[in-house]
Amino acid sequence: MIKITNLEKFYRTEEVETIALNKLSMEVNTGEFVAIMGPSGCGKSTLLNILGMLDDPDAGSYVFNGVEIAHFNERKRADLRKHNIGFVFQSFNLIDELTVFENVELPLIYTGVSSADRVKRVEEVLDKMQIMHRRNHYPQQLSGGQQQRVAIARAVVNKPKLILADEPTGNLDSSNGNDVMELLTDLNEQGTTIIMVTHSEHDARYSHRIIRLLDGQTVMENIMV
Amino acid sequence: MFRNYIKTAFRSLLKNKGFTAINILGLALGLGACLLIVFYVADELSYDRYNTKSERIFRVNADLKLGENRKDYAVVMPPLAKTIVAEFPYVEDAVRLKNAYTMHVKKGDLNMIENKVAFADPSLFNVFTLPMINGDAKTALAEPNSVVLTESTAKRYFDKTDVVGKTMVINDNQNFKVTGVIKDVPQNSHFNFDFFLSMSTWADSRSNAWLRNDYSTYVLLKDATDAKKLAGSLDGFLLKMSGDQMKSEIGMSYADFEKSGSYFRLNLTSLTDIHLKSKRIGELGVNGTVQYVYIFSAIAIFILLIACINFMNLSTARSSNRAREVGVRKVLGSPRKYLIAQFLSESIMITFFATVIALVAAIAVLPLFNQLAGKDIAITTATLFWLIPVSVLIVLVVGSLAGSYPAFFLSAFQPIDVLKGKLSAGFKGGGLRSFLVVFQFGISVFLIIGTLVIKNQLNYIQTINLGFDRNQVLVIQNAYELNQSTKTFKEELKQLPGVTSATMTGFLPVSVNRRSTSIYFKDATLDQKKSIFPQSWEVDADWIPTLGMKMVEGRNFSKDRLSDSGAVIINEAAAEFLGYKNAFGQTLYNSLGGKVELTNTKKYEVIGVMKDFHFSSLHEKIEPVIIRLAENNGAVSLRVNTKDLPALMSQIKSKWATFSPVQMNFSFMDQDFDASYRSEQQVGTIFIIFTTLAIIIACLGLFGLAAYAAEQRTKEIGIRKVLGADVSAIVAMLSKDFVKLVAISIVVASPLAWYCMNLWLQDFVYRIEVQWWVVAVAGLSAIVIAVATVSFQSLKAALANPVDSLKNE
Repeated sequence: MIKITNLEKFYRTEEVETIALNKLSMEVNTGEFVAIMGPSGCGKSTLLNILGMLDDPDAGSYVFNGVEIAHFNERKRADLRKHNIGFVFQSFNLIDELTVFENVELPLIYTGVSSADRVKRVEEVLDKMQIMHRRNHYPQQLSGGQQQRVAIARAVVNKPKLILADEPTGNLDSSNGNDVMELLTDLNEQGTTIIMVTHSEHDARYSHRIIRLLDGQTVMENIMV
Repeated sequence: MFRNYIKTAFRSLLKNKGFTAINILGLALGLGACLLIVFYVADELSYDRYNTKSERIFRVNADLKLGENRKDYAVVMPPLAKTIVAEFPYVEDAVRLKNAYTMHVKKGDLNMIENKVAFADPSLFNVFTLPMINGDAKTALAEPNSVVLTESTAKRYFDKTDVVGKTMVINDNQNFKVTGVIKDVPQNSHFNFDFFLSMSTWADSRSNAWLRNDYSTYVLLKDATDAKKLAGSLDGFLLKMSGDQMKSEIGMSYADFEKSGSYFRLNLTSLTDIHLKSKRIGELGVNGTVQYVYIFSAIAIFILLIACINFMNLSTARSSNRAREVGVRKVLGSPRKYLIAQFLSESIMITFFATVIALVAAIAVLPLFNQLAGKDIAITTATLFWLIPVSVLIVLVVGSLAGSYPAFFLSAFQPIDVLKGKLSAGFKGGGLRSFLVVFQFGISVFLIIGTLVIKNQLNYIQTINLGFDRNQVLVIQNAYELNQSTKTFKEELKQLPGVTSATMTGFLPVSVNRRSTSIYFKDATLDQKKSIFPQSWEVDADWIPTLGMKMVEGRNFSKDRLSDSGAVIINEAAAEFLGYKNAFGQTLYNSLGGKVELTNTKKYEVIGVMKDFHFSSLHEKIEPVIIRLAENNGAVSLRVNTKDLPALMSQIKSKWATFSPVQMNFSFMDQDFDASYRSEQQVGTIFIIFTTLAIIIACLGLFGLAAYAAEQRTKEIGIRKVLGADVSAIVAMLSKDFVKLVAISIVVASPLAWYCMNLWLQDFVYRIEVQWWVVAVAGLSAIVIAVATVSFQSLKAALANPVDSLKNE
């Protein structure tokens, strides 16, 4: 599904040039659950942003589903993104002014799903995430665990092929964290490819494969059994 | 999709109540002020447009130049109206109006004084749109001694409008038959009368004199485009009509007349231009000034700009709070145009609420505004006809304008930057925002300077040495009622304790009173090049002392010198015009009309020069005045000096009652003077009110910005406090940025305001200079206002417990 080759990304300030990704190459197959680990500043988030088409690489190739997208402009990337990728953030990033239902509905609006279909699909996914009873609440009325469920519901409502999770349990206690990991595992078992950035060895164990980064390069790959 | 925007917008507004309140209130205040100005300007521009034929109606004017003297009249010769219809086939009709000034009308046993009376030709109702309620418009003014009343006048006298056929007694002994009742003349008309008397009643209206101007004359063209053609033919027409009279009465042909540097010409003013653009001799009412329409329109635009800038600034300052939302929406696949649409709909929504509030508020304060502006603006269905589309337009245009910057600014955020928290610095780095604050305060400083200058100029007009003493002068306006006994009345009043002196004449130096001009020649050659066409007034020997005029040369008239009937006193302006170094003993030949021959003149000797005094608008230069001894019983003026004015007044009134059954009509000269500057005072007051509003709105914006700046820097403030900064240092740090911006705005706006206000002052011949302290005061007050506004927020931030702000993150 994903093949990146010699991917490079630099950050420049006036005097210093920082290399975030240094000729990084990797491949992720459809249906895989991959964890990316590494110390702060190793380029994990940069990699995730590029994989999620939120950012573009300075050099190298990024083939998504057989299409080279490294040179895509923002609009093309956004279009590809909204149909194929769901995001889960550490800080949930729900919109405070919208209810649970409306937050989850949002991606469907942007992909032009009809109103009746939207209700059906949002209810379906809320049911699956067991937060149906909270549908009319606002994010701030929910616990962290519940908020992350809503965020995951929002990530999957469009039935994306790929979910990118950026430390999804980082703001949760261990019990809520385990619930979230179980949810992701379920999704993966149903066929969704998942790439997750994490600091937690415990969470990483849910994945099939761990890619460890250091200074913008792959240093090790562990295949989980 | 759209519902989603509205929903988010609505909830976002509710969540930030303070911000929303400032934003809506500021915008509503701005729009409300704007609406009032729009009402005012619309009213000024609507003058005479109630006439369905307004496009085809033109007033005929006369321009006269005699030697070095120029006079522009709004009135023309008595036979012109009749002749012009006969002469030009494309002139459909013409009508004359002649102001009858004051008359008294019997109501029961009482004699009411009526000031809004005019003689009018029967064609009045064909030319102007004055709908008749009762009576026949075609014939109402045909017969002599007919009167047409307005609706409210009919009600005032008869308690009903169905009064055709009733008789009214005017000026004691003239019986007039009511032949029609019309709707009241609209307030936005350049003339406003309650009584229209048939012109045929007025014998002089049949005069065939082509050499004098005293009838307001309007022509109705068949086609408005013929106006140019008519204007081009008027001079030839006048020459043809007046040529013979000129030869026989002045004794020269028009060609000779023109050769001597003089002319006599006719021109046209479109009916709809009269109110704002015409300032001629003999206007039927006090006209407006187009300049004020421009000034107020500019203020309205300024206020709207300030309010819009507030909106933009507050919205973008808040951007960090909205940034995350933008980021999330973008990650979820929202294209930029959706976000732009979202923010625009949000700002249009705010504008909508603000407009509704503004409309309600503007309509609510309209009566008060009317009182201040001396207007009579009413909201009618006709107003709604334009007001509703304009309101919708305002909502869309202002909403988009005010929302455009936040919309494009916020929607351009890169989602990863936002989600990573790179864009938390909401206030800093707002180059455009700083520019907008400068712009806003620049306008405020400009308006403060403008206000001060206008106020000073008006104050100057109020306190200027007029060359006479207008205080403590009682004017009995209808002294002419007493006919032959006015002089006796005056002499008897002089005996009353508390009356210092008294003078009998209708010629007084306040502009509501009589004016008359006459030609004087410098020598016996009667050369027009050496003529003067001054105000020529008839006064008595008590005039100069009673009014407190000063002599600069020679002496006042004396009652005891018989020879003074051949004497004149001139003012300094006349002396200068005539080129006299030493005026005393000079001779002048006053034309008595008719052929320019020595036998048709009277010789006068100049016995004195009086100091110039103001008798018309301070917009104009003091004209030459020549006074001579004659009995004119137009009015009696008394200089009083008493502690008990009511007692003196009742004495004067009972004295009057022994002479006449008519009510005594009196006024105080200082009040008459104030009345003649009322429109200026009103404009000044309105200007000050709107300027204050503009400044309040600008402050509201600054207040909001300061609040956000403080909020953005909460953490910084916390850290600084932990490190030992005290409150004053933090207040100074937060205020400094704003003060800097305000200082820049002062530097930019002051010279501009200086220039513009000097331009405005040019319109006054007698005016103040723009003083440096005005600029200093304006700048200082802008800084004080800004600091006061910002300090409140800064202090709040500085006094907060740093532990709270640091724990926050």
